[in-house]
Amino acid sequence: MTETPPIRVVIVGGGTSGWMAAAALAKLLPRRCAVHLVESEAIGIVGVGEATLPHIRAFNERLGIAEADFMAWTRATFKLGIEFRDWGRIGDSYIHPFGTFGRGQSEVDFHHYWARLVQAGVDMPPIERFSMACTMAREGRFALPTTDPRQITTTFGYAYQFDAVLFAPYLRALAERMGAVRSEGIVVDVEHDGESGDLTAIRLADGRRIEGDLFVDCSGFRSLLLGGAMGEPFQDWSRWLPADRAVAMPCRTETALTPYTSAIAMPAGWRWRIPLQHRTGNGYVYASGFISDDQARDALVAAVEGEPIADPRLLRFTAGRRERSWVGNCVAIGLASGFLEPLESTSIYLVQQAITALIELFPQGRVRGVDRDEFNRVIDLEYERIRDFLILHYHATERDDSEFWRYVRTMTIPDSLAEKMELFRRRGRIVKYREGVFLDASWVAVYLGQRIRPEGRDPRADLPALDVLMRGMTALRDEVAATAAAMPGHLAFIDRYCPMSPAA
Amino acid sequence: MSDREGPIRRVLVAGGGLVGWSAAAALRRRLPWLEVVILPIAPPADAIADRMRATLPSILGFHEDLGLSNADAVVRTGSGVRLGTLFEGWTAGGADPVADYVHAYGRHGRPMEGGSFHLHWARAARHQRPAPFDRFSVAAAMARAGRFAVPADDPEALVGGFEHGLHLDPERYTAMLRAFALHCGVREQPGDLAGVAIGADGFVTAAVLAEGGRIEADLFVDATGPAARLRGALDDRRTSWAKWLPCDRLILAEDAAMPADPLDRVTARDCGWDWTGGGSRGLVYASAFAGEAAFAGEGVAIDAGTRPQPWLRNCVAIGDAATAVEPLEWTNLHLAHSAIDRIVAMLPARDCAPVELAEYNRQCAAEADRVRDFLALHYTASDRPEPFWRAVAEVAPPPSLAHSLAQFRARGRLPFYEEETFAKDSWLAVLIGQNVRPERDDPLIALVPPDRAAAAMTHYAQALAAAVAALPPASAASHFLLRS
Repeated sequence: MTETPPIRVVIVGGGTSGWMAAAALAKLLPRRCAVHLVESEAIGIVGVGEATLPHIRAFNERLGIAEADFMAWTRATFKLGIEFRDWGRIGDSYIHPFGTFGRGQSEVDFHHYWARLVQAGVDMPPIERFSMACTMAREGRFALPTTDPRQITTTFGYAYQFDAVLFAPYLRALAERMGAVRSEGIVVDVEHDGESGDLTAIRLADGRRIEGDLFVDCSGFRSLLLGGAMGEPFQDWSRWLPADRAVAMPCRTETALTPYTSAIAMPAGWRWRIPLQHRTGNGYVYASGFISDDQARDALVAAVEGEPIADPRLLRFTAGRRERSWVGNCVAIGLASGFLEPLESTSIYLVQQAITALIELFPQGRVRGVDRDEFNRVIDLEYERIRDFLILHYHATERDDSEFWRYVRTMTIPDSLAEKMELFRRRGRIVKYREGVFLDASWVAVYLGQRIRPEGRDPRADLPALDVLMRGMTALRDEVAATAAAMPGHLAFIDRYCPMSPAA
Repeated sequence: MSDREGPIRRVLVAGGGLVGWSAAAALRRRLPWLEVVILPIAPPADAIADRMRATLPSILGFHEDLGLSNADAVVRTGSGVRLGTLFEGWTAGGADPVADYVHAYGRHGRPMEGGSFHLHWARAARHQRPAPFDRFSVAAAMARAGRFAVPADDPEALVGGFEHGLHLDPERYTAMLRAFALHCGVREQPGDLAGVAIGADGFVTAAVLAEGGRIEADLFVDATGPAARLRGALDDRRTSWAKWLPCDRLILAEDAAMPADPLDRVTARDCGWDWTGGGSRGLVYASAFAGEAAFAGEGVAIDAGTRPQPWLRNCVAIGDAATAVEPLEWTNLHLAHSAIDRIVAMLPARDCAPVELAEYNRQCAAEADRVRDFLALHYTASDRPEPFWRAVAEVAPPPSLAHSLAQFRARGRLPFYEEETFAKDSWLAVLIGQNVRPERDDPLIALVPPDRAAAAMTHYAQALAAAVAALPPASAASHFLLRS
């Protein structure tokens, strides 16, 4: 059998996406590619994508990353979901859980039974009391899920909140062990093939020239290769997602180490709160048309809970994406391919999906259109489903207290989302997909959490007798509460499982 | 409109074949507050879903949802176990002759170090001569050997990770469903349909009977076969698939004396294909290519295609009334079951709100397109030399199938689509069975040296063959079904 020579992969940009790509390619395609990553210490990394989705666990596992070691290194905490505060109305709070409502095993989704009782005038507790993930989050508890499907402890998943600035070096060490090469330098120019327009080499400020067969653009918002060298147009989604700036500032953790991320609605956007073992990440994502940078910074500084440990840092962006993520022999991963605000922690997820697709469609010899088109099809689906889900958070609101909220509440939304909302409003129906990052329970959490109450329900939810249903509900709620109460506290679990090294 | 408020209370099912009785029984059993009336019009000769004996594995799930036991639904109706189909002569062979292949349901081989088994097999096929792909499927191995076991609970077990369908006796099976439906409270209104009364708002108000009288309902389910005698009264929009599925005639013959065999034989012929198995035989052909053949002009018509809106206002077409395809791969009844499940899960209110129907129709259309693609694959991937086969191979496949083929040919990848009927292993069985091969080794399996992979494959095939040889004969299948 003939071995084709390895593909020379040039990755431009370190940071989370660059090193995730480098580590995955080096680990999973060791003989098929030679990875060369170019980054500059002079260019900072965005590195605010500290909150993740449960999918990251599969990625880490594939790379052979031991969980406790990774968590200690990146000073990570567990994440059971996201708390949304003040979104439907000021004073509201709900959790989007990584897990189901109810046991998630009945033919009719749990929320239809819950809706039936609410519609019958029963004074029901919030639906999150019937979710293991939500209840553990509220109670500040954590234990790893189990595998016996009869147990309620299989109904939740988890992700991590970690320090992205520490994750990149962790992956770098792994990638370099697997043979990836790193160069320090600033890219100043690229060379194209005269005929195909493909990239052939990059040039660095110090005069070095690096040739490659496949170029991976992880240069962040600048989109140096895809947007710059290849000129791929940007699709602007800011009419639906108007936030275009963020100011970020970490602080000391003053309150409990919550096993969840918080997203708190603000007058012109929202604020994140991500507790790590050693600090809490904070940031205000806002729309500059509705508030000045100074006002936003002051609002953030006033809101953080503990002593700031760095100065506020400003980021600018536009919601949207490059029309194609893979053009010619240039693949953009992460912010270089598009940006969706971190409201649902999708940044690292999108990086991971792009890397997975790239590995599955990795070229042998020259890049072929059939691989490129499939990559772009897969990434299109991901972006569009996430886009609708994010827009829902802004649009499903009763807030009338600022110009920003009045705008998003009344803006025209994509038809695909309008139909989804109408289906839920009428009958509590969720548009079902087998694939996609946010499945049924995620949509239910946000709809109900943001005051979209179904007027009807699945008629099969009326089948059990009312008293039988109520007894079942009470028993479930008690089981969830008792199971959560028997778990260790989040901090206690971390102290035992993955404490960061004290010297660090 | 105010007179369309409130829930659906009364449903009329038109059609007294297997599909109609399945719908009536399922609606009444699973949505027990409904008043279900059936107009049991005898199924016409061209209602394929009502007439085919071979089913996909999904019928067992349909029974389970109804609470029907294997004893009642399978054994007492004289049904047999069906493990798969032997495809003979679907390719001319070329440089790498493959006499035949079995499409059975479930796993082929085991993944090796993270790489799918079929990628290893494809690499081996390019450089060595591995055993045919179907030798790595437990269900195919059982089918070829005439053996049977119910799948082990552990899907990873050697004799696990597979599914089986049934061979029905449509008459006895329909009688069982009828008895069950009546027991559940379905009301039977004998008669024939003379017309459809439509109100000013375009909704169906009643089925008008030939014998006089009318049956009113909130929702009308049309299971009358391709003529769609209810749903067709609202509109006749259809999407034709004839260019991809050019067979337009079906000749069906029952054969009660045929020995029970879990494996159907489907053999490609000059201008179509024929089958034997499960107590029937038949021929499906393209009339334009039949020439002077003895059978030319015989049989019932098949007009391959689908309704873009199977559900319009308060009338929903199911089975052949919604989507008509030739019986290749036995999808007709499966599509009917799937539509019934979807009606149960998505039942709207009396107003049949367009936004709800749109979602129903979107799912149905996606499912139908995927079935179309799977059937079209059998034709487009054939290299048989006869004019019929050359003509169909020259038609560009539907874009979604073209995409699947291009992806598979490039590197053995199968793109994911929603609402897929056939699992990845079924696609692989047919693609590889019809000699479609990836052009390149997937880089993901480069970590496993070819000789190590080959040794593991040989070991697996031998272990599987030995395990299958030790199983009881398929003729004892009903004994095991009763215990499972």
